[in-house]
Amino acid sequence: MLTPDKFKIVGYTQEEANKIDRPTISYWQDAWRRLKKNPVAMVSLVVLCFLVIMVIIGPHIRGYDYITMNVAEKNQGSSAKYWFGTDYLGRDLFSRIWVGARASILIALVATALKLIVGTLYGAAMAHFGGWVDDILMRIIEVLNSLPNLLITILIMMVLGNNMFALLVALSITAWCSTARQVRGMIKQLKETEYVYAAEVLGAKPLHIIIKHYVPNMLSILILNASTAIPQFIFTEAGLSFLGIGLTAPEISLGVLISQGQKTLDFYPSQLVYPCVVLCVIVMAFNLLGDGLRDALDPRLRQ
Amino acid sequence: MAKYLIRRFCELVLTIFLIASATFFLLEAVPGDPLSERADKLPVQSREILYKRYGLDKPMMERYVLTMTRMCKGDFGESFVYAGQTVGGLIHDRLPVSARLGLQQMILGVTVGLLLGIVAATKRGTAIDYMVVGLSVLLISIPHLIFGLMLQKIFAGTLRWFPTIGWPAGKDLWLGGWEYTVLPTLTGCFSYIASYARLLKTSMLDVVNQDYVLTAESKGLSKGAIIRKHILRNSFIPVMTQLPMSVGMCITGSFFIESIYSIPGIGQYYVTAVNNQDLSIVLGETVLLSLLYIIILFITDILYVVVDPRIAMPGQEH
Repeated sequence: MLTPDKFKIVGYTQEEANKIDRPTISYWQDAWRRLKKNPVAMVSLVVLCFLVIMVIIGPHIRGYDYITMNVAEKNQGSSAKYWFGTDYLGRDLFSRIWVGARASILIALVATALKLIVGTLYGAAMAHFGGWVDDILMRIIEVLNSLPNLLITILIMMVLGNNMFALLVALSITAWCSTARQVRGMIKQLKETEYVYAAEVLGAKPLHIIIKHYVPNMLSILILNASTAIPQFIFTEAGLSFLGIGLTAPEISLGVLISQGQKTLDFYPSQLVYPCVVLCVIVMAFNLLGDGLRDALDPRLRQ
Repeated sequence: MAKYLIRRFCELVLTIFLIASATFFLLEAVPGDPLSERADKLPVQSREILYKRYGLDKPMMERYVLTMTRMCKGDFGESFVYAGQTVGGLIHDRLPVSARLGLQQMILGVTVGLLLGIVAATKRGTAIDYMVVGLSVLLISIPHLIFGLMLQKIFAGTLRWFPTIGWPAGKDLWLGGWEYTVLPTLTGCFSYIASYARLLKTSMLDVVNQDYVLTAESKGLSKGAIIRKHILRNSFIPVMTQLPMSVGMCITGSFFIESIYSIPGIGQYYVTAVNNQDLSIVLGETVLLSLLYIIILFITDILYVVVDPRIAMPGQEH
């Protein structure tokens, strides 16, 4: 039998009882801690950093210009002089690949930024105004969503020509729809939460609510959105350039290099292999980092 | 239900109208016209006759109205570049090729992907699981394009096991000429393997933690019976709803594969037609492919309800 006299007070102070033993950790600190524990994600992060450095300084390492032709030394294999060999006009492939990768990554990043910005603003407008505005904006998304993306992209490339601007428009013209839908759902959900009510009741200004509650809650979803969008954009860019409807020579990107490499595939396979490998490494690093971020950021996966 | 169907139908008509108009004006905005290459070398008189024959002598808005009215009757007109070629004939000649390629890819890719997904989920945390996950990340990270070129180089170029390019025609159109279809099918099926393995694995792991699985376990059901009767049935919902989307995507997804292996499919011709500004063909293909895609989206929405009775019929309130 348990009786009160079997318990005795060992002594405590109010201060000790209220003390928090461990430091408080914000959501982002926690996510970063989780990400650090994931070796695959960290390796891909390092690889990505390396790639970013390489696309900036890579073309200058060997001291060969990426457009200077040297017909005496065309179609060479890897050597101490030309690490990745030269192409059919005797241009240094090492420099060309990093310039091409720079274009590919840049296109993917800008297209992703466009997708996120347009999608967020559109989704926020839908959730904020509601009613018939929401209805009409939603119908527009449904119409855009029911079109095969690739057809639209090809058509737009045809009209605007083969340049960087056209490619960005073509890539992001339908991509923002999914972001807009997610943001709309998210804000609608957040609007109903108790802590947003509480903030409103306590007299918080709309800007404060947006910055303190909406943005931090949506940020993780937007980051995940970006991490899946970037590899997709790199893929599409390479594919379009390969078909001759993305960027075309003399502009270079990994897609352009791959399509040039395919022409000499039978005799000089290295000209195709190097750009392909770089493309795959970039995409794989983004994909693996994305997986790691999903595990780190998604609260539902936490045990 | 009837209200919902009517709404969907109106949306379909509107969407098709918008896409047709957009395609028309986009192609009109490209400088030059589809006939100039053929007509420039001809004498003025023949040139006029040629332009008249294709109706290009009329102002743009008049042609727009004409094209749209004819389109409503199902007539997209004749190709500007290849005399006598119509959209109907094109669909008849080329759609079976793309359809066979797409079907083979999907059947192989989805089957293998689902099997791998089941294995990965049931053997969670073992070496097999990590291998499947690693494989699917690898397969997702290598574009179609590179797979196609690699397979072509190795198995058709170096080893000479399969022909480099080409596609069976005539009586071999559906069954036969398998050696031509192996490499393109493999190229396309990898992405299905990867995505379906991931999809089913995630969905199975979601279901494993449900209470009814715990109940089944405590009732003493065998592991196989739990997987078959409870886990698989419930985790197939996302798979079932993903399938029609894959059918839709595999039509346009094969554009690259058709280009690599010179397969005379509908995608390869689309790219050529866009490059030639062949308005009638582009318009026809765009409208038909969009129509197909929209119908597939509609089937997907209905499927959600059929496979998961917990979801209310679209247009119905709970």
